[in-house]
Amino acid sequence: MDLQILEHRVRVLSLARRGLWLYTHPLLKLLLLPRRSRCKFFSLTETPEDYTIMLDEEGFKELPPSEFMQVVDSTWLVLNVLSNGRSSTSSQAIGVTKIAKSVIAPLAEHNVSVLMLSTYQTDFILVREKDLPVVIHTLTGEFDIYKEVKGESIPVNCDDVSNGFLKPKHAASPTVHPVQSPRNRFCILTVAPDTLPAIATVLIDVLFYSHRFPSDLLLTSSSGELWRMVRIGGQPLGFDECGIVAQIAEPLADADISAYYISTFNFDHALVPEEGIDGIIELLQKRQESSS
Amino acid sequence: MSGSKPDILWAPHHVDRFVVCDSELSLYHIESAVSSELKAGSLRLSEETTAMLLSINSDTPYMKCVAWYPKYDPECLLAVGQANGRVVLTSLGQDHNSKSKELIGKEFVPKHARQCNTLAWNPLDSNWLAAGLDKHRADFSVLIWDISSKYTPESAVATEKVRLSAGDTEAGLVVTKPLYELGQNDACLSLCWLPRDQKLLLAGMHRNLAIFDLRNTSQKMFVNTKAVQGVTVDPYFHDRVASFYEGQVAIWDLRKFEKPVLTLTEQPKPLTKVAWCPTRTGLLATLTRDSNIIRLYDMQHTPTPIGDETEPTIIERSVQPCDNYIASFAWHPTSQNRMVVVTPNRTMSDFTVFERISLAWSPVTSLMWACGRHLYECTEEGKASSLEKDIATKMRLRALSRYGLDTEQVWRNHLLAGNEDSQLKSLWYTLHFMKQYTEDMDQKLTGNKGSLVYAGIKSIVKSSLGTTESLRHRRSGSDRQADIIQYLSEERSLALQLCGWIKKGMDLDVEPFLNSLEQEGDWERAAAVALFNLDIRRAIQILNKGASSGKGDLNLNVVAMALSGYTDEKNSLWREMCSTLRLQLNNPYLCAMFAFLTSESGSYDGVLYENKVAVRDRVAFACKFLNDAQLNRFIEKLTNELKDAGNLEGILLTGLTKDGVDLMESYVDRTGDVQTASYCMLQGSPSDVLKDERVQYWIENYRNLLDAWRFWHKRAEFDIHRSKLDPSSKPLAQVFVSCNFCGKSISYSCSAIPHQGRGFSQYGVSGSPTKSKVTSCPGCRKPLPRCALCLINMGTPVSSCP
Repeated sequence: MDLQILEHRVRVLSLARRGLWLYTHPLLKLLLLPRRSRCKFFSLTETPEDYTIMLDEEGFKELPPSEFMQVVDSTWLVLNVLSNGRSSTSSQAIGVTKIAKSVIAPLAEHNVSVLMLSTYQTDFILVREKDLPVVIHTLTGEFDIYKEVKGESIPVNCDDVSNGFLKPKHAASPTVHPVQSPRNRFCILTVAPDTLPAIATVLIDVLFYSHRFPSDLLLTSSSGELWRMVRIGGQPLGFDECGIVAQIAEPLADADISAYYISTFNFDHALVPEEGIDGIIELLQKRQESSS
Repeated sequence: MSGSKPDILWAPHHVDRFVVCDSELSLYHIESAVSSELKAGSLRLSEETTAMLLSINSDTPYMKCVAWYPKYDPECLLAVGQANGRVVLTSLGQDHNSKSKELIGKEFVPKHARQCNTLAWNPLDSNWLAAGLDKHRADFSVLIWDISSKYTPESAVATEKVRLSAGDTEAGLVVTKPLYELGQNDACLSLCWLPRDQKLLLAGMHRNLAIFDLRNTSQKMFVNTKAVQGVTVDPYFHDRVASFYEGQVAIWDLRKFEKPVLTLTEQPKPLTKVAWCPTRTGLLATLTRDSNIIRLYDMQHTPTPIGDETEPTIIERSVQPCDNYIASFAWHPTSQNRMVVVTPNRTMSDFTVFERISLAWSPVTSLMWACGRHLYECTEEGKASSLEKDIATKMRLRALSRYGLDTEQVWRNHLLAGNEDSQLKSLWYTLHFMKQYTEDMDQKLTGNKGSLVYAGIKSIVKSSLGTTESLRHRRSGSDRQADIIQYLSEERSLALQLCGWIKKGMDLDVEPFLNSLEQEGDWERAAAVALFNLDIRRAIQILNKGASSGKGDLNLNVVAMALSGYTDEKNSLWREMCSTLRLQLNNPYLCAMFAFLTSESGSYDGVLYENKVAVRDRVAFACKFLNDAQLNRFIEKLTNELKDAGNLEGILLTGLTKDGVDLMESYVDRTGDVQTASYCMLQGSPSDVLKDERVQYWIENYRNLLDAWRFWHKRAEFDIHRSKLDPSSKPLAQVFVSCNFCGKSISYSCSAIPHQGRGFSQYGVSGSPTKSKVTSCPGCRKPLPRCALCLINMGTPVSSCP
């Protein structure tokens, strides 16, 4: 398998709900008019608490600082796993499950904190820029690593970076975070870029004004499955702790359950198939019990 | 597509139909417009063709790509890829009773909806349809559907579950289980099946080109590249593939897939379509955004580039089918080099790319040119008179008749050339006289004029300045009192020899020359020469003889009578009448005779500038009657004239000097006769002219020409001839007898290496010095091989050493 290090340098920030008015214009521009800005990586997640935004430095410049905005100090790099057709896995499970064992767990062992961002198309793993040598060293056995430079993929050799490599300090067994699952049901969709203008008003409506969503506009899988959310963390998780994704993804991977995983400023969220929600909650509770 | 940009496709089996697709599919029928009027409802595509709209299909919204069913189907079955990833089979026919009826309306639905980027029917198994989709995190982006597959119970269950999709699907027509799924967690932007095997699929994925082998789907061959758009296989070379990225086209050789074998020059705007011409090998058409030209790349010369560093030559051309921007184009599947283009506002135009014309002369006068698949030949017509024949034909015939190879009787070469060209005749006589003179000089070893002979009369005359003695002479046989001044010198008589008037030495007797002219029946010339030698009686005698001979002209008698009436008196009636009436004489020599008789002493322009009189006669005349200054001026002027005209008679004046090469150059420019040029220049053997690069060029060209005619023997003869006259052109020995032990040449080194130690006689079988043979290698002293029977050494004769 190939691991691609994308060229985006991403900042992670949180906007307080009450400060949204200040940012509506830049957000709409970044969201709906990607050709108007040089921003190439943009993610907006709404939670009951806040809006979490992950965007590259070009996009970050467009957001004026204010009291409503909280920014994580470090810069994050985006990793993407490409199967490259060589995977011989028979597993049809999708999402973080697929990479839990190969990426998430080794990184957790090496004390690397990650943020996850699952999309319809792929899963992005965000790591701190300073952790990159460790990441490369850790994953070099499992993956062919390519770095994206000006649109071209350049292979990365372990030797180039091992000089600055620090021996992993084995972290104490990570804290086990409580999980909870609200009753909302989720649908995961994609929008073809050229149909964006047609649904822009609806999208704006949904994002900023209401909680209705029309059912006949967006595309989803033919099986029409629906998803439930599992929220991880009782209190804000912070950015330094490692192994949070791993402790959720690994049990799910063992049980071969598909999942989407989205990290936000405060909490992490996993989306799991609706049919198995009870089993999953049970599975994750068990993990809590076993460690305590 | 999707409303904004129409695409266009020719029907693969109905050569007169094509479809334009944007938000709907419109089928057109193309027909030739015989009259200038348009039928109602038809659109003009070109001067000869119009298009008629047959039907419109707007059943399938959100079209992203269309592919025409490759098997013959009267109903125009099409596969349409939609924005949600579904592939729908639809048709443009009206007849719903066709055998493909059950296929129409069938839908193929991917597990996760996303845009369908490309479709490709398998050319060998027309049930297979490959679809390339956008990325989904864990789903496959290349799906191969079997259009004949029936819906399965599982998929029926799945369709019931579709809650968010449009509810227009009919149960039983939806297929959700693809035959093959490839390219997990990747996006597919373009697809094409490889004609090498039914199960090989080439796909332009997100960041690489991949070849999927359906016999083993876990294996794939891939190369990382950005050029992943529009992969397409050359229909003539199945290993050659084109793909593009923004403005750049990459050409790949699948046998050497690591990197493109070449990339075409980048264009400023992004490309939108790249297509190989199906009717012509190696022709690739490319179209960029917002452009009204189609760029063509002709890769004709290197169908399959071999080797690492050889960049094949490509001829780039642009064609402009219409004035507007072009949205898309499509090559006609069978009609040669024809395409139809469509503009964004859906005007169409039928266009044929004109083929480049290549033209070639054959070495035997025929001309050929090729245009497309037509080959035209143009040959010389019938039996034109030999003078009008092409120089190549002439040279060929002359080469066959051994022209130029007679080195003894040099003048005979003009007979070998066909005895038709007076210039050639003059040339070879000049060369003959030159050669004759030098041979005489060699025998007598007198004087030092030998070196001058080949330098021509111009140089001879220059060297004679001041040595001339004048001689007052009375015209014998006349009662004229006034004397005519004649000039004499050694050089002048040499010039006269070269002109052929006199034989050799200081003997000024022209009688032998007159006799030879009489024999040839050249009466007028003979009479003129006799007169110029101041022998009117002889001249009259010649004319009488001419008039009485078999084919003679009776008018010659009249001329003789007029001649006999010659009077010296300045104001006589004879003189007056002759000087005016002579201009009406047809024969230039007769005309010159009267001009001579009526002219004042010392001014002979009427003779000297009578252009129809042979140059040699005029020069000889000038040498007799002009003083040094006049002579020099005249020769100088005449030389320049002849040089400019490329008249070979001028070689008499220029000789085989640089001037002569200049003259020959303008002759070759005029006629292309490198044969005569080569042979002529070779005659001037020891001189520097052979080193002139023009001369070498003519010689090389003549040799090439002989090669091209496959006259191998003639070429060998020419080379031998050449090496005789120009020893420097002799090729180095290529075959040597070499020693088995030291590898050195036996024959060559025997004289070069001084004897060391023991003499040859020690190895000699017979002690007799007369039969001396080399029996040991002169290089290493090892004995040469012996005869297997008699054990006598097989040596080489000592005398054979160079």
